[in-house]
Amino acid sequence: MPPRIQSHRVSNSLLPFLSSSSSTSSSTLSASASCLSRYDFSTTSVSQTRHRETMFNWLNNEGSVFKYHVPGETNYVTRLQKGNDASQSSSPDVGVENKKPFPGNQDFVSESILSEELRMEIYKRVVEQKKSIRVVSVELRVDMRRVGAVIRLVELEKRWKQLGKNLALPYARAIHEMVPTTPLATDGNQPSHESTNDLPIHRLTEPQIFYPVPESRPFTRVDAGRVFSGAPALVHKEAEKSRDHLAAVDDLVRRTRTFERIGKGANEQQVLQPADMRIPHPQLILVEKDRMDHPNEYRERVKRYNERLADQDASEGKRRAVAVARREATLKHVEPETSRFQFRIQDVVVSRTTTGRDGRGPNAPGRRYGVPSQECKKGQVKIPTEVIV
Amino acid sequence: MRNRATTPLSKAKIRQSWSKYNLYNLQRFRTPPTFFKTHFQQKWAAKSVSRAYHGEQVRESQWTRMFSKRLRAVMPMNPIQLARDDGSQMSAGRGSGLDPDGSERKSDSKRIPYTHMTFAPLERRLDVAIFRAMFASSTRQARQFVIHGAVTVNGQRMTYPGYLLNPGDLFQVEPEQVMYATGAPKDRMERREGRTARKQAAEARRAAAEAAEDVEEGAPAEEAAEEKDGEPAAEAEAKGEEDPRQTLRALLAQAKKIMTSSKEVLPAKRKQELRAFQRSVRRVLSRSQSSAVLTDNLEAQLSEITSLLKATRGEKTTPKEEQVSKKSEPEDVEPSSSTAAADNKTSEQLAKAFQKASLNPEAELDEETTAELSDEDLNVLKRALVQLRDNPIDSTKPYATPWRPRDYMSAFALIPRYLEVNHNICAAVYLRHPVARPGLAEVPTPFGENISTSAFAWYLRRR
Repeated sequence: MPPRIQSHRVSNSLLPFLSSSSSTSSSTLSASASCLSRYDFSTTSVSQTRHRETMFNWLNNEGSVFKYHVPGETNYVTRLQKGNDASQSSSPDVGVENKKPFPGNQDFVSESILSEELRMEIYKRVVEQKKSIRVVSVELRVDMRRVGAVIRLVELEKRWKQLGKNLALPYARAIHEMVPTTPLATDGNQPSHESTNDLPIHRLTEPQIFYPVPESRPFTRVDAGRVFSGAPALVHKEAEKSRDHLAAVDDLVRRTRTFERIGKGANEQQVLQPADMRIPHPQLILVEKDRMDHPNEYRERVKRYNERLADQDASEGKRRAVAVARREATLKHVEPETSRFQFRIQDVVVSRTTTGRDGRGPNAPGRRYGVPSQECKKGQVKIPTEVIV
Repeated sequence: MRNRATTPLSKAKIRQSWSKYNLYNLQRFRTPPTFFKTHFQQKWAAKSVSRAYHGEQVRESQWTRMFSKRLRAVMPMNPIQLARDDGSQMSAGRGSGLDPDGSERKSDSKRIPYTHMTFAPLERRLDVAIFRAMFASSTRQARQFVIHGAVTVNGQRMTYPGYLLNPGDLFQVEPEQVMYATGAPKDRMERREGRTARKQAAEARRAAAEAAEDVEEGAPAEEAAEEKDGEPAAEAEAKGEEDPRQTLRALLAQAKKIMTSSKEVLPAKRKQELRAFQRSVRRVLSRSQSSAVLTDNLEAQLSEITSLLKATRGEKTTPKEEQVSKKSEPEDVEPSSSTAAADNKTSEQLAKAFQKASLNPEAELDEETTAELSDEDLNVLKRALVQLRDNPIDSTKPYATPWRPRDYMSAFALIPRYLEVNHNICAAVYLRHPVARPGLAEVPTPFGENISTSAFAWYLRRR
């Protein structure tokens, strides 16, 4: 039987610069040859189970479309089902339907990866134009952690090129042809790669709480956070102040805010803050508020936004400097003249703060009576738990 | 560890693998029936079927310790909504918000598929993360890479496949291993070529060793060396006599042949063409004074070729061709980065240009304009060189060369969002733990809601 592979369904990795339409069809012949050779040179009866036969039947007919990819398109198993459905009704979100790799799982979508140009653009903006990661994240609509990771990876790639190591270029090209990618917009209308303002669902918000509130009293996100963390309700005056949630966000953005804590000893924890405070880009709330209040003052708004960002960077820098200084204060540097090493010595602290009230705090150093060594316990993982960069 | 991860056809089990058996099983897999089954039986079936996919290399007791009933989720927030409202609207009325017309409001967001996150703790494992980043064709293979020392985490070699990645960890697999894992395997001919190449190399080494011994002995060393060099020297002389124009013409014709479409051409034939081109490029470059050119960058190679063949850059380009060459200008500056970026549009245009050029390959190179290279010709030459460098024919590699993806790979090609992968250097960063969001779970699992929910219930240990 002739192979039913159309000539355009073919990988183009052999030819890095040509589209698949002009590339060669690789090994269509060898596929059919191997298929036939099962029967060719053997006089004994073919020892093949029924399952195997049906499998190769499927692979040579319906399944042959999965053998090679079409550059720029996904090639998942669900396309077979979709072909059946499409004849009956054309669904509106075909784009998403194409990206479901598992026929049994409708809740999983193969999400796009950053295209090569977008990665280089992120690197350019952060490293060359010296923009902050926060700003670039908002501009290109990519998560802040991803922006950081992209910079690390591009740096590594550059170092590899400098060292003259071999890169896996044909492989990378093939992957970018198979997986959906987010392109870099040339007209400035950058499509969203992922949602950048994700609110993690907090452990405290999981229980359902029955909390009666008079209908006449406004009940805000701030109040809900207090209820979830078991903090007492605010008295009237404070409550009035807390109503101005945007002022609080402004404080947060400028890093001048302190957080109330509740509980005693080991149970002490921060009062759960409203969503405005816990999202990665709270400054965008203020931008929206500004836009609503002053719709016609574009320059003023941009100025205020930049001012706020500068404030944020400055206070962030100050905070980091303080933290570093505090850590340095606990360290003693010893540099013997004959040695090429520098020793950083940190004194252990055995006090109420580390051992806890009952003296059994698991994180305090040293052997203490009544605190078993977890080393010998069954199921303790002995492989490293972290690799310090 | 014995590999129990077989893909039996009698029982369709889905594995973390790219094999065609697995593909067949994936498409014919059906949710186990629940009619006339006790709750316990349903949970058992769900657990066994999902554990065959998720962490089958992990012992059951190990997994039960890793299991956590707390499932991570996030809710995307809209800053516009947050700016407008301090939350009191949502709690208005009897506590669930009021619509503008005063009626009670219903939530319109999609459900969060929590139980799809049951096996999320396993995605933290190094071997699973390597498979998810598409650096290996199965988790078993990823595990082997780790154990054999091909993987680094934050620059340090890590030999524990069970290492749990922390957010921000950068792991890297050796590109050669990745190319081997994801590339098509060698066929019989290629394997034989590899064998003969190895044999020849061994013989050459032996001969060199003998020659070295002879040198130590003294007298007949020079003779042997001359004998060996005699043939290539003669060849080189013969080449020296060749007309540079003719050589150039031949070279260009070969480059064009490679770069133009050839649907009918068999892979073997095509490989012969590539090889011939490679040989002639080598031959031309071997005439240059500095021996470093062969390993040098492309620009140097190209300029060397043109200077050796006494070619001058011609000005004869039609407007369309100019456009093409303009498009490829940034690539001229940085060939290696441009090759990584697959620009479909540009490549299509180029393909057209090549076709056009192939129709009249001799036009530019007739007697009068000999040794005049148009920009487009240069481009073709350069591209052929780029291809030779990036995806060379090399029988010493353990995969089929030039590299191409293995069969049926595209059906499994997906990269989850909690990883940021750079495929050029085969490195990835584990950004964060996988999360669920409305209508979407980030753990790639082939099973539906009812299987994962039953499996989750099984590990809650209230049977």
